[in-house]
Amino acid sequence: MTEMGTTVTKEQNAEAAKAAADNLNARFSDAGVSTDVVAHKGGMKYDFVRITCSPDQWIGVAKHLKHELGVNHCAMVTGTHYPSGDDGRGWEVAYHMHRWPITNVKAHTMIVHEGEKLKGDDIPMEFEIFIPLPAGDSPSVPSIQDLWEGADWNEKETWDLVGIDFEGHVNMHRVLNPHDSPVGFHPLQRQHKIRYHDYNEMYDDPQGFGRKPVDEGRVK
Amino acid sequence: MAEMWITMGPQHPMTHGLWTLRVKVDGETVTDTEAELGYIHRGVEKICEARDFTQITPYCDRLCYVSAMTWAHSYIMAAEDLLEAEVPERAEYIRLMAAEVQRLASHLMWLGAFGPDIGNLTLMTWCLRDREMFLDLLQELGGSRMHYNYPRVGGVKRDIPIGWADRMKAKVKLFENRINEYEMLLDESTIWLVRLQGVGYATAEDQLNAGVTGPNIRAAGVNTDARWTNPYSVYDQVDWEPAVEKPTSVKGADCYDRYRVRMEEMRQSCRMLLDAIEKIPGGANTHYQPGDEMILTKAPTRAPEGATGFSTYECTRGVSNFYIQGGGDGRGKNPYRLSIRSPMFITIPYVAKTMIGYKIADIPAIMGSFDPCIGETDR
Repeated sequence: MTEMGTTVTKEQNAEAAKAAADNLNARFSDAGVSTDVVAHKGGMKYDFVRITCSPDQWIGVAKHLKHELGVNHCAMVTGTHYPSGDDGRGWEVAYHMHRWPITNVKAHTMIVHEGEKLKGDDIPMEFEIFIPLPAGDSPSVPSIQDLWEGADWNEKETWDLVGIDFEGHVNMHRVLNPHDSPVGFHPLQRQHKIRYHDYNEMYDDPQGFGRKPVDEGRVK
Repeated sequence: MAEMWITMGPQHPMTHGLWTLRVKVDGETVTDTEAELGYIHRGVEKICEARDFTQITPYCDRLCYVSAMTWAHSYIMAAEDLLEAEVPERAEYIRLMAAEVQRLASHLMWLGAFGPDIGNLTLMTWCLRDREMFLDLLQELGGSRMHYNYPRVGGVKRDIPIGWADRMKAKVKLFENRINEYEMLLDESTIWLVRLQGVGYATAEDQLNAGVTGPNIRAAGVNTDARWTNPYSVYDQVDWEPAVEKPTSVKGADCYDRYRVRMEEMRQSCRMLLDAIEKIPGGANTHYQPGDEMILTKAPTRAPEGATGFSTYECTRGVSNFYIQGGGDGRGKNPYRLSIRSPMFITIPYVAKTMIGYKIADIPAIMGSFDPCIGETDR
């Protein structure tokens, strides 16, 4: 126990996760959005809320998260490519969001929460949203750039590296790859293999003596 | 007067790394900015898809070469979530201490780099002198000076050596006095105050909405610290409190507040270290052999398809997240996809926009006060 207040307890966290999941289920379960509470393993001692929805439902769910459940921080956006396309899932976008009890303070003041006294939507919570997308050449989800400014550069990065298109995203451009990268080049798509130091090469031929030039057989 | 664009970077003392800030100026006033990143993009996420879970740790060390230990821990936490590994309590304490020593070293590097930005070259020599003490401590743990490859899935690589506890205590107690020395140097320096106060305001809500976390947002008077809000490891068992600064204006925190919050955070890290070394299970002056169940438990090495791991970790510059999907090559030996959220990747574009309206001479002060690190930004 310190002067700054205690941390949120496990019970509070479990209760808040369940309340958030119930709230989402009551509002969206008829539309086919599935929500459940999942517990972290390992060193993290808390539960979080996992949502799976379709791209059509995403803006509705996002607005609900922001305005009803107080989710105020879009932490990360991850795109994944599944070239096999099993279960109608060729791509997936995962959003990770946080809710923290944060409001602006007056000058010369600060807000220190007693963790154990926090209630309802003030309890810090983690949200994980999966959006599976059908296989194809043009995966696309609606952008949430105007809801959370923090999603802006995350979406830019996801488009740049994975090639998922964010409908309605303003000022989309390359952020990590060179600006003159070829159109359609997105290195985290699975058809791009790592050329050197591939898993097998690294163990079978660590010195690289057996390595052949990339254009072998095609050069006269 | 006609407006014009000026390019600051990629080689510029303000950048603290390799990136470009394009500034549109009207006279001396900044009217628009654009950040350009990606100069040292190494494709860590792609490389990790061809590495197994132990081999990934060194890559995560190198995400931020100033704060290798915290990044490796952040990754390991996600890997443990994915592989469902349990960590012995002694290992958790060792990790906590390693991360906090790293936090001290990282904040010292920040302060040392920030000083010359503001015109105080003494600070650089002082900070690097003190940082060496903590790098020596970390070297005893990991074996090398900057990249330690220290944590393992299920524990740590080696136990703390005999005598480490005494050396750490002596250094931390010495450093607590040194913080006072820094404050005597800085808080009474007119140049320091004039260049930092009233510059680079940012409110808490704006910052959070833009994704800014860590000391930068805590300077605006709100208690958000992942060690507190999303309790992990044994941070709930040691004596400390989050460093929160009272902002000096309704407009939020200025550069001075962000400097103050890091000084306070260094004090809290010292406090945490001195408390943790007393509470560590198994004793501070015991050395368990590598692989002993006190410091490392056996963990699965393969993760099935569909399993996911996610970590929220308070790095020195803000909250870092790792998201890992299992079921990659080698029957799940590699991750299928590993995604990294770097706090600075989100912060730098935000900071670029907060500079609008200030003078061009304020740019180094504003940028430096947010503690940019390009290694983790570009990944």
